[in-house]
Amino acid sequence: MTPQLISLIGAVVVVVTLALTRRVWAPAIVHAIPSVWRIAKITVAEARRRRVLQAVVVLVVLILFSMTFFSYLSPGEQSRMLINGGLSAITVFGILLAIFLAAFLIPQELETRTVYAILAKPVKRFEFVLGKYVGALIILAIIVAVMTAVLVLVLVLQDAMVKDLPDSTFNPNLEGVLFAALMNYFAIAVLTGLIMLISTVSSTTMTVISSFIIWAVGSLQSTIHDLAEHADTAATKLLLQVLYVVVPKLENFDFRNEVSNYLHVSYMSGWDALLQGLGYTIVVLILASIFFNDRQV
Amino acid sequence: MNDEIVLQVEGLTKIYRSLFTPVGVKAVDNLNLSVRRGETYSIVGPNGSGKTTTLKIILGLIFPTAGSTTIFGSSIADLSVRDRIGFLPEDAYLYDVFNGEELLDFYAGLFGYPRSRRRQLVDELLTLVGMQANRKVPFRECSKGMRQRLALAQALVNDPELLILDEPTSGLDPAGRHQMTRLILELKKRGKTILLCSHFLAEVEEVCDRVGIMYRGGVVAEGSLSELAGEPTEIIVTTSGVGEAQAAVIAAQPGVLSVSDGVVRMTKESGDQLWPVLETIHQAGGRVVEVSRPRPSLQDVFVRAIRQDTVEEA
Repeated sequence: MTPQLISLIGAVVVVVTLALTRRVWAPAIVHAIPSVWRIAKITVAEARRRRVLQAVVVLVVLILFSMTFFSYLSPGEQSRMLINGGLSAITVFGILLAIFLAAFLIPQELETRTVYAILAKPVKRFEFVLGKYVGALIILAIIVAVMTAVLVLVLVLQDAMVKDLPDSTFNPNLEGVLFAALMNYFAIAVLTGLIMLISTVSSTTMTVISSFIIWAVGSLQSTIHDLAEHADTAATKLLLQVLYVVVPKLENFDFRNEVSNYLHVSYMSGWDALLQGLGYTIVVLILASIFFNDRQV
Repeated sequence: MNDEIVLQVEGLTKIYRSLFTPVGVKAVDNLNLSVRRGETYSIVGPNGSGKTTTLKIILGLIFPTAGSTTIFGSSIADLSVRDRIGFLPEDAYLYDVFNGEELLDFYAGLFGYPRSRRRQLVDELLTLVGMQANRKVPFRECSKGMRQRLALAQALVNDPELLILDEPTSGLDPAGRHQMTRLILELKKRGKTILLCSHFLAEVEEVCDRVGIMYRGGVVAEGSLSELAGEPTEIIVTTSGVGEAQAAVIAAQPGVLSVSDGVVRMTKESGDQLWPVLETIHQAGGRVVEVSRPRPSLQDVFVRAIRQDTVEEA
């Protein structure tokens, strides 16, 4: 059986199961949507008022604009450097914001006890977790969109400045940049879900530390796989295999190299990563809801 | 008030266990209580007696080790129950970057009210709690009293039948306490069933129909204030202008227990002897300031109940 056939059978099984059990989950979903949306909206509004996120966005914008000062490079090199550096800045700051945002979202509600007034109302705990997650996704989407827009603006301006030069090889590769930024956002979304899961069972400090480790491991999954293949001991092999299976494969979302070096970008591999990430996120959010449901607040 | 039970707590026990305390700390110990429709019931007790833990279990915020709670005959896990209750948490924890208007709109939204209804509700509630003029002040810039009133308003967004108030006057100055007590009395007048948790006995005395005195996780005394305090134990006549010689004459009257500093204490059965005593005071050139039949205050009842529980345990 080919992997595609297995995926197809899996998808059919999921759809049929959902259709047969719709009487169980449909009312819960219908009830959940308004609550999730309201909690998401207030999460976004609160983040906007706190102004910390705006400060980070301004910092990234300054970094992106400052990269245009490398005028000693040839136009071709400069476009490569701008694309790679810009996408890297978006990745690093996006992931950092995701870690610090998601790690604090639920624990902060527990610490400031704002959760009491919400959970005493007709709001299920999974709705609260989902609302917080959707809120975080909206905040991160806005931030990634702003950073991407600035990168695109920088590339367009730079292109306009150098295109009349003789033998200019500047190539802004806007389509590739937009695709890479979008995939980067999906990676952030997957990581945010996992961080929220950890934050429901762990302290904020532990959540932040483990988030950085997961980010590192998730970005090196092919290396982890190779190391597992060549591990000396059975225990090391098992540990590496567990890491390979459990930690999301964030590197599958990373198209910086292909885009900045003008290599062929396989949109299908992006689609595969997206589907895997979606499945992974659904699982971690279900687990986060289960753990938060049993948590004494 | 009628006999319909709105809230029933049976055999409730909560033990907090951790790695370092495997035996656990018993916060609530086999607690039983019931609140009837339309009454104002207060749980009073010293800090650490298990009051807030009990409220949190009732609201489903934490889970009991044993026992059960039902509200309107159903579990708190049933979302329709939460449509009918309002909760004011201790120390008013609300999102501090938003103002009263925004906060109330958010909490009303959690009940699924449409925008027009929410706008009307926000106006009504801000008026009720006296926050109309400060509706745009961010929560973090509000005074303690304003915060507490806003927190009460958020507990009322669904016009609840049962209102659960955790230390509603905690941290308020006398004016704020008075204001909050007036609000609770107003809600009582509107027919709300109120479960109040407090250690301000004066406020409890003013607003409550029944009181449960909680100590070390259990209710050590429960009943209406008159049931708990019992009948007046004596008659007190406060006088002025009575000298020592006249005091001796008054003290010799039947039914008089003592005369000291112008205060005549008589046995509670001595009602018939009251008039001759008052005449004697008058003839001695004294003046009657007040005649009263005081009951023990809730403070006295509270101290007595706790002392009795401690003695029984010893």
